[in-house]
Amino acid sequence: MAAHPDTTAPPPGSPHGLARPDRVRRRDVVRTLFGVSALNELQYRVNFFLQLFESLVALATAVAVVALVFLYTPTLGGWAPWELMVVVGVHTALGGVIRAVIQPSMQLLMEDIQEGKLDFALTKPIDAQLLVSLRRITVWPLVDVVVGLGVVVVAALQSDVSVPLAGALIFPVALALGAVMIYCLWLIITTGAFWVIRMEHVAELFNGLYQAGRWPTGLFPGWLRTIFTVLVPLAFAVTLPSEILTGRAGLLALGGAALFAVGLVAFTRWFWRLGIRNYAGASA
Amino acid sequence: MSATTSVAPPAGPPPLPRVGRIRQMADFYATVSRTAVQEQFQYRTANTMFMIGMVVEPVVYLVVWSVVAEASGGSVGGYTPGGFAAYYIVWMLVRNMNIVFTPYGWEFRIREGQLSGMLLRPIHPLHYDLAYFAGWKVIAVLLWVPIAVVLALLFPPELTVNLAQATTFLVAIWGAYVIRTLLLFVLGMVTLWTTRVAALFQLYFTAELLLSGRLVPLDLMPDWVLRWVDLLPFRSTFGFPIEALVSDLSGAQLLRGLVAQVVWITFGWILAMVVWKRAIRRYSAVGN
Amino acid sequence: MAGPITRGHRIDVDVAQLGRTYKVPVREAGLRAAARSLVRREHREVQAVTELSFAIEPGEVVGFLGPNGAGKTTTLKMLTGLLHPSAGRARVLGHEPSRRDREFLGRITLVMGNRNQLQWDLPVVDSFEMNRAIFGIARPDFERMRDELVELLEIGHLVTKPVRNLSLGERMKAEIAGSLLHRPQVLFLDEPTIGLDVTMQKRIRTFLAAYNARYGATVMLTSHYMADVTALCRRVIVIHHGRLLYDGPLHELAERFETAKTIGVTLADPGRDLSGYGEVLSVDGARVRLRVARAEASAVASRLLAEVQPTDLTIEDPPIDDVIERVFATPDGSRSALPDDGHHG
Repeated sequence: MAAHPDTTAPPPGSPHGLARPDRVRRRDVVRTLFGVSALNELQYRVNFFLQLFESLVALATAVAVVALVFLYTPTLGGWAPWELMVVVGVHTALGGVIRAVIQPSMQLLMEDIQEGKLDFALTKPIDAQLLVSLRRITVWPLVDVVVGLGVVVVAALQSDVSVPLAGALIFPVALALGAVMIYCLWLIITTGAFWVIRMEHVAELFNGLYQAGRWPTGLFPGWLRTIFTVLVPLAFAVTLPSEILTGRAGLLALGGAALFAVGLVAFTRWFWRLGIRNYAGASA
Repeated sequence: MSATTSVAPPAGPPPLPRVGRIRQMADFYATVSRTAVQEQFQYRTANTMFMIGMVVEPVVYLVVWSVVAEASGGSVGGYTPGGFAAYYIVWMLVRNMNIVFTPYGWEFRIREGQLSGMLLRPIHPLHYDLAYFAGWKVIAVLLWVPIAVVLALLFPPELTVNLAQATTFLVAIWGAYVIRTLLLFVLGMVTLWTTRVAALFQLYFTAELLLSGRLVPLDLMPDWVLRWVDLLPFRSTFGFPIEALVSDLSGAQLLRGLVAQVVWITFGWILAMVVWKRAIRRYSAVGN
Repeated sequence: MAGPITRGHRIDVDVAQLGRTYKVPVREAGLRAAARSLVRREHREVQAVTELSFAIEPGEVVGFLGPNGAGKTTTLKMLTGLLHPSAGRARVLGHEPSRRDREFLGRITLVMGNRNQLQWDLPVVDSFEMNRAIFGIARPDFERMRDELVELLEIGHLVTKPVRNLSLGERMKAEIAGSLLHRPQVLFLDEPTIGLDVTMQKRIRTFLAAYNARYGATVMLTSHYMADVTALCRRVIVIHHGRLLYDGPLHELAERFETAKTIGVTLADPGRDLSGYGEVLSVDGARVRLRVARAEASAVASRLLAEVQPTDLTIEDPPIDDVIERVFATPDGSRSALPDDGHHG
């Protein structure tokens, strides 16, 4: 069985019948998908306030937990209270990105694989991975992104946090790398549905694991730290940006994270194509 | 106008004789919980994933508080790292006893009209849920044992248990189960009065997380929080069963905890019945 | 144990002046309205059922007809205690359904064609077992009834399979068996054959007829498939816009509402134009179907016999589907508004 046509994308820019160059089309698709989802949701504006309320309650809970810990100790594993709030902020913001952009599409993909409906997505003349990754977007969890980044800014301005200029500059890069890694993890797990059909509880499992990211991974014993670095890259995704912003890590660590991200992206793409090939073979 | 030419068969069917009410309830509980075991055994992969996801939460608390304990000279609020290990390993079992039919589930049942089917049965839906989730516990406990063993190897617990504590624990976990079932049932019924329940549910679960002993042993809470804890049912549903086993509670304290559970069960039951009566009136008035 | 005695008969389902008004929330657009609706919602009243009265005797099988939204499901829900009537009164087996007595619930059943009450992931027999426990059926009674239903519905080979592996029709048969284990005296069936293929529909009809004959159970049935109704029900109750439109024998429905008859003619000389005799419904080779006013049917037939000299001529009531369609096309459902002339129906 030959590879599915979509797994061998034409070289960028090559004319393809009437279709526009791939790069242009890709940008177009992304913009359109985002637009449609956003418009759909913006009709229900009251949801915004409910989401804001929920975000604030979640934030208050996180603050209460941090406050409770610091009732008993001045620093936790070397982190001062406001430094820990940086971690809380990053965790909240990234969580918002996951729930808004990554998780919805991945869950749709999982359902489609289970019900054999993926053919529709695979027969479109656009890179399948891109399409399945951006098909469904929920807008309101983005409130968490704003709230989370707000917490980061407030915490960074406190006197017991010293932010190096370089750290402030590369912080967004570290955050973006973190989001990419989480996306890769999700796609790898979801692609697993090509072989193991029943994957409904993966979301719960992931969300359970993600909760651990609210604390710096350095607190955990070695074996757990390894899990949170390699298997579920919370160390890179949440802790590292916080470490960079609080001057605990620098360019070298960012370079390491970038290398890891590149490797993960490559592996994800390879694994995804393997899954597609398996799917095409099975359904032929 | 209602004249009819059809000839009815002479007699209606004789109704089947029904078994006695108490025997029926015992049989009902046995059958439903057996069904739950069979059904949940089919979902064992999902259940295992669920359990693994659930391990993370107590392990994180355990790690964080062990770090705090070590930083403050070996113990905090009377808990050593070994004490925390015992607390959070037992925590997992109690957390499993805490799994009941959720208000989200009630929202779904009401929205999808499944409540209609339940209303046609000559038995209260609460009995069904109590029986079903009690059966599920068998699977949950089976999955908990190996996880608890592994956790005990990784985080050695300090635990000494006497007979009174063990007995109280075994009773208290079921008390916790009943209280939580009743309260979440009442919360779920709110769906009948407003469609936007998510925020309310979240508030409830947040309060529960902070004030039940799920997040942290309640002894570590500041005094002003503990005053609230005494007025609320959450400790009875979570903290008390764990403390019964891992803290050195006196006989009087154990008894007081059990009495508190009885009070909350009574209160929850009355509240559930009052709300149920109104809920049914509302359900059958609004239509669905 | 029996229902009330009326005019010397026992009545199983007794409905008098039954009415039901729904409050439908009115939601305006805009944020302020949405926020306000969180606290206080404005409602509009909709009459779903109005002044409905009828009585059903034990053992009757009654077809309950009406277009979508006529109030059929609302009525069935009131009769099973799922909805409180807002006017009038309903009695089923002498009980007031909305009180939901255990005694009452143990003697009725409601089957909805699009609802599944069986445990999805378990073999059908386990769901049966669950129903035994729910209805408190003694084991020997349960086993006898179960085996009987399994045999009547021919589902012996299905009951050990999980419900999720059954086809829609198989699931419906299992569903029906499960709903009858407690041997209910009154059956409310809401579209029990919906979505099933013709063979399966037929099998379920055969079963219902057999069950009714064996146990003399009272059945109230709604269906979109007129074949269900013609096969099972001698009596029909027709409602439209929530009001009673007709209650009586099925075969009189056409006489009451259908102002036309269909004359089928097989021509000796195909191609002849018969439009002068009536509305031509179809021409199929030599066979022509005409629609003529009921009162003139015999006159037109004699004229046709005399003037056209067909090889064959039949006079029929239109198919029941057409009759029903005509009934429901009636504005407001009031009979006085029926057109006198079938040609303009």
